[in-house]
Amino acid sequence: MMNGTWKVDARDGKLAMAHIYVAFVALALGGLAGLLQVLVRSGKFELPAGISYYTILTTHGVLLGLVLTTFFIIGFQFAAVSRTAGTLSDRVRFWGWVGFWLMTIGTAITAFYILIGEASVLYTFYAPLQAHAGFYIGLTLVVVGSWVSGFAMFAHYAKWKKAHPGQVSPLLTFMSVVNMVLWLVCSLGVAATVLFQLIPWSLGYVDRINVLVSRTLFWYFGHPLVYFWLLPAYMIWYAIIPKIIGGKMFSDSLARMSFILFLIFSIPVGFHHQLVEPGIDPAWKYLQVVLTFMVVIPSLMTAFSMFATFEMYGRSKGATGLFGWLRKLPWNDARFFAPFIGMLFFIPAGAGGLVNASHQLNQVVHNTIWVTGHFHLTLATTVVLTFFGAAYWLIPHLTGRVMTKAMNRLAIIQTIVWSIGMIFMSSAMHFAGLLGAPRRSAFSTYGDAPQALEWIPYQIAQAVGGTILFIGIILVLIIVTNLAFFAPKGETEFPVAEVAEQAERTPLVFENWKLWIGIAVVLILIAYTVPFIDMIQNAPPGSKGFKLW
Amino acid sequence: MKTQLNTNTPKTKVEKEPALKGTLASVLFLGFFLIFTWVSVYFLFLNRL
Ligand code: HEM
Ligand SMILES: [Cu+2]
Repeated sequence: MMNGTWKVDARDGKLAMAHIYVAFVALALGGLAGLLQVLVRSGKFELPAGISYYTILTTHGVLLGLVLTTFFIIGFQFAAVSRTAGTLSDRVRFWGWVGFWLMTIGTAITAFYILIGEASVLYTFYAPLQAHAGFYIGLTLVVVGSWVSGFAMFAHYAKWKKAHPGQVSPLLTFMSVVNMVLWLVCSLGVAATVLFQLIPWSLGYVDRINVLVSRTLFWYFGHPLVYFWLLPAYMIWYAIIPKIIGGKMFSDSLARMSFILFLIFSIPVGFHHQLVEPGIDPAWKYLQVVLTFMVVIPSLMTAFSMFATFEMYGRSKGATGLFGWLRKLPWNDARFFAPFIGMLFFIPAGAGGLVNASHQLNQVVHNTIWVTGHFHLTLATTVVLTFFGAAYWLIPHLTGRVMTKAMNRLAIIQTIVWSIGMIFMSSAMHFAGLLGAPRRSAFSTYGDAPQALEWIPYQIAQAVGGTILFIGIILVLIIVTNLAFFAPKGETEFPVAEVAEQAERTPLVFENWKLWIGIAVVLILIAYTVPFIDMIQNAPPGSKGFKLW
Repeated sequence: MKTQLNTNTPKTKVEKEPALKGTLASVLFLGFFLIFTWVSVYFLFLNRL
């Protein structure tokens, strides 16, 4: 498979970079909101000019959870398919731009309604909180734009398959396709609630909304959403990091297999976010929790594969002893260091996830700030540090520049700053959550309740950690701006790993899409049909909209 | 008299499996950590019942 171009075509590079610019602008604004949140929650600071805490929190969640992630992922994947399956055709690239502009215009509309204070409904926009219709319409455009880009990637993949009958597709292209299939299948749920429930209701065409149905459709989307964020990080771990360290991939088949398992098991599990929801029979919650725990399998496969890649490389360099191979890794290369630290943070993140998903333990942490601590490890550290690490070669590759030694050093410092800030902020959130501190709440002592007073030291630690994190955001913005506009001109590699000699040949069965999508759909139908019918047939009267801000 | 162990079997060329002791230790540690966290919160849950 030596026919892939080594360099991403300049026109494809422009498309990818357009996405990446929006992603980092979102990081800048969303990070500022995050800083304000931790300061407010410390109790030592109040927002000026009557700005609502919940407006800021909605801005933060939407910009970082939805905009930064989706734009970076689609930009990265366009670059990855162009690099591994060949330059995009003019038509595919055209539709890529259509997708980009739909998403960008949608983001602007949504951001406008959030910032004028008409949509402080947080990034999950749960009914019966009701935003201005413009908020939902903007989000619809973002999702439709992402579909257009997804189909553009599918078309590119199909063209490659046609030109290479009977061959296994390039790994990064395969993985991008899996991720977009996952996205497409799950975003149908959020599209359904937005189009058929929230928009008509916010426009006043209908008076009342079935809250349980809309939340269920949201979480049908919301859990796979986190895998849509995570899989691109796994692409970088599986298919790029081995090349960066100078080693080989442990196994191509194992990587594909784990992606297929994520596709199958990450959708029929949304109830694990609704474990305390009345109106869903516990038996169905139980089934979805069991399916949730199936995701442990591909997660541990990934952990094993990464350790094995590192150990094989270290031993090939003559490392001895149980952990001697660790010393052989390229610690002063930020392209490795940032994602590696991200991987380490995934260990406590995964442990917390098992707690969240267990019905009884969920009652200990449900809706507490523990949950926020959890996803600042998964998303805001593991995924984000991996994306930063990728940006350090992807941006100069696409802009025809090279990262200087000084910038590499700054990127190492950035990773350390992020780690320190996150250890403070996330640990404080976890412990305060175990003591019952709620998430999504501005500062309050709840009438000096003794329990609420216990949280204050943690909230101060949270503010210290959050401030350090904000410094981390400034550092990464400096690096990214440098790489995009000021770094010296030159050639930077887009690393793509080769497979180790001992690995087995990859079977074609992983590209039997009918089979895998079929299994995914069957599991979705099993997990959702009966409870869903129940929610509609036995629905209480719907709710009117509330604007509590 | 000692039983004669079959020491001089012809050396067949075995496919070399990579030595992954460190990987084994790492995933065992990982598994232990997951269980430890889970059990800790489980006891917290029991305490609060
Ligand atoms: C300077 C860095 C950051 C700080 C100080 C920060 C702080 C916070 C705080 C305090 C909350 C919870 C507030 C509450 O529940 O009342 C929060 C929520 C959240 N953060 Fe961050 N964060 C930062 C970076 C990030 C990043 C990089 C991401 C994602 C890529 C992210 C994603 C989220 C999301 C999705 C929420 C949930 C919002 C909600 O509950 O509606 N954060 N953040
Ligand atoms: Cu989930």
